[in-house]
Amino acid sequence: SQTMTFRHKNTRRIEGLDSNVWVEFTKVAADPSIVNLGQGLPDISPPSYVKEELAKAAAVDRLNQYTRGFGHPSLVKALSQVYERVCGRKIDPLTDILVTVGAYGSLFSTVQALIEEGDEVIIIEPFYDCYEPMVKMAGAKPVFIPLRYKNDGSSVSSADWVLDPAELANKFNSKTKAIILNTPHNPMGKVFTREELQVIADLCIKHDTLCISDEVYEWMVYKGRKHIKIATLPGMWERTITIGSAGKTYSVTGWKLGWSIGPQNLIKHLQVVHQNTLYTCPTPLQEALAQAFWIDYKRMDDPECYFYSLSRELESKRDRMAQLLQEAGLKPVIPDGGYFMIVDVSTLNVDLSDIDEKQPYDYKFVKWMITSKKLSAIPLSAFCGPETKRQFEKYIRFCFIKKDSTLDAAEVILKNWNKQTA
Amino acid sequence: QTHFLFLSLQAKMSRPVQAQRLEGVDKNIWVEFVKLAATYSKVNLGQGFPDFPPPDFLKEAFVRALREENHMLHQYTRGFGHPPLVKILAQYFGKLLGRHLDPMTNVMVTVGAYQALSCCFQAFVEEGNEVIIIEPFFDCYEPMVKMAGGTPVFVPLRPKAPKDGKLMSSADWQLDLAELASKFSKRTKAIVLNSPNNPLGKVFSRGELELIADLCVKHDVLCISDEVYEWLVYDGKEHIRIASLEGMWDRTVIIGSAGKTFSATGWKVGWTVGPNQLLQHLRTVHQNSVYHCATVAQEAVAQGFQRELELYGKPDSYFVQLPKMLQQKRDWLVQSLDAVGMKPIVPEGTYFLVADISEFKSDVPDVPNSDEPYDSRFAKWMVKNKGLAAIPLSAFYCESHKNNYSHFIRFCFAKEEATLKAANDILQKWKREKNSP
Repeated sequence: SQTMTFRHKNTRRIEGLDSNVWVEFTKVAADPSIVNLGQGLPDISPPSYVKEELAKAAAVDRLNQYTRGFGHPSLVKALSQVYERVCGRKIDPLTDILVTVGAYGSLFSTVQALIEEGDEVIIIEPFYDCYEPMVKMAGAKPVFIPLRYKNDGSSVSSADWVLDPAELANKFNSKTKAIILNTPHNPMGKVFTREELQVIADLCIKHDTLCISDEVYEWMVYKGRKHIKIATLPGMWERTITIGSAGKTYSVTGWKLGWSIGPQNLIKHLQVVHQNTLYTCPTPLQEALAQAFWIDYKRMDDPECYFYSLSRELESKRDRMAQLLQEAGLKPVIPDGGYFMIVDVSTLNVDLSDIDEKQPYDYKFVKWMITSKKLSAIPLSAFCGPETKRQFEKYIRFCFIKKDSTLDAAEVILKNWNKQTA
Repeated sequence: QTHFLFLSLQAKMSRPVQAQRLEGVDKNIWVEFVKLAATYSKVNLGQGFPDFPPPDFLKEAFVRALREENHMLHQYTRGFGHPPLVKILAQYFGKLLGRHLDPMTNVMVTVGAYQALSCCFQAFVEEGNEVIIIEPFFDCYEPMVKMAGGTPVFVPLRPKAPKDGKLMSSADWQLDLAELASKFSKRTKAIVLNSPNNPLGKVFSRGELELIADLCVKHDVLCISDEVYEWLVYDGKEHIRIASLEGMWDRTVIIGSAGKTFSATGWKVGWTVGPNQLLQHLRTVHQNSVYHCATVAQEAVAQGFQRELELYGKPDSYFVQLPKMLQQKRDWLVQSLDAVGMKPIVPEGTYFLVADISEFKSDVPDVPNSDEPYDSRFAKWMVKNKGLAAIPLSAFYCESHKNNYSHFIRFCFAKEEATLKAANDILQKWKREKNSP
């Protein structure tokens, strides 16, 4: 019999969602001769006790088999303790927490559980790129609002990029199901202040909207700033899902463990999605993470706690990165948190008009920089909705959670760049 | 859930906060039965996981990966699959299928076979589509189809009486061809095939697979082939991959599991193998749902497969030793059950066994008009009163068919000898108590 090619198409829900900035750029930057400041992954080592706990866990036979679907008991217990302390409220490990495959998996579970066709979801630009396709895959409409530069001073900090409260209020309507908040913010590094969060909270309460709060960089906050959880503002706990990440907390992005924390009446729906998509997360990794959390929970009053020591380590890397870029004649946006830094590269006046591709300037710039300078970054327009891409296409994003030798190599490139164009 | 039909003037939260796609998929039997087993069982033959460890070579591979100077194994790897793993999977399955496989386009790694299934339904099933599911079925297929907006269409395996004096075999449960053919319509998007089958242990024969394949080709239907128990095949039987049959490669997604293959269910590493035209859509779902799978476990599984490729078909191969070991355990459990009057259906594959508990019905009286299927009440009573955990067969049937076979329960025999002996003791004691006046 003749072979018939399968003629059925993919579902509508994934139509147009196939391309992805990471697939494009991680492939290009995989060449080891390239100094990779693109994708957000540390090349510093995770703390040794974290690695040791994983080795210990894998040696226990039953930890190589299935654990509780919604989260390994010792892990959800540890998470509830840490976050009870941070939030100042009781958190039930079994009903208020879901462990997921990375914060990515938490975002997916949250959107699939609570968002559907007919809903609108407000996304602040620039945004971590998966928010848009996830909202679309759920059949809903993303509504974008950009951060806008408000200062006319000489130094540029992520704090200078703000939401216009009137513009934000206009985005809310009866169809608005949720707003996605990311603080500390990727790629900008902005740490939303209490006042800024209150503006968002007021609108959520007024319009009875949910808040999906992506706080994966919660521990990476630099001098003078404080990370505030919007769920702790009055009226917000009952309408907020707060998302965290082991990968970012412990510099183990390859463990792919994250969590959603919130009220039972919301988390229970995320749990339903989870039990119908992957059921349970890997056991030994969860056990190791639980043990690491206990170690740091016990020293949350101690500056040596990894949550704080990592932040101090990153702050000096941030300052070094900023200096390197400034010496190359650039004006980076100094982040208040996170491990990314964005910079306007148009002042370098690199002429790319001969490159024919119909891509935004920053895409072309990064590809050119990778091939000719052996330095990689990520184009910022990847983090923007269609209306705002032009506004941000002169910016690129650097990741600075890198060991000294990587930053040394970046320094050489940036110093030479300056010399060549002088 | 009641839906309020208020006008938009009402507060938004007066309608359910959750999305409609969750309707009817919230119940899950494992949540309840796993809890019961944890609370009451002395011998747990319920949920399907081994109580023996993964093989030493695999545990060593994991520890080696952790000790590496290169700590980058703690960071993201390639989203669609860690390169060493997809390379070896392409090699291994290419050899099995007699076909060249490209690791980058014909293989995708997932968080367990469970997530592979979910990707398939999300990629290919939507409202208006029907998906044929053979009963009894691994229970997640139905809610996954529904969550994707599809309509599950069920077709049962029907038991034929075994030959005189013989125990029933999973081979005696068969599809009625005419009945199967009648389930295909122009709305049929896919059929889910699970061979070896959980819970019965049936290993579909070449003839049976050819019948299914013919219908797939005739109706241009996708085949989602859940082959997680592909190595657990007994009595010299052969596991045949439907994708190797004529006309099937282009329309089949093969799903596999490191958890079942290497007795490491807690690692949650699975994979899909298939043509790029299908896998490209799985990649889209994957990159918009979890994106990456944990790196270290993938590295260790890759090393495990490397070893198995080198030992292919040899006595030292884990894929040769594991079914041998499990066949022995199967036979012990068959003997234990048969000796007390629970009639086992001897499985041709998997590490599950279904038994007819009719002779023990007097212990758990019928409750007329009960919402709960009899076998479920029986299994709950058994774990609470005898300390022996098993899963009711009705868990593997759709709602309207849950009472079709009311006196079967499923045992998992991937257990240490001591566990199976303890099960035997419980059964023997139970029988003695029944027989004493």
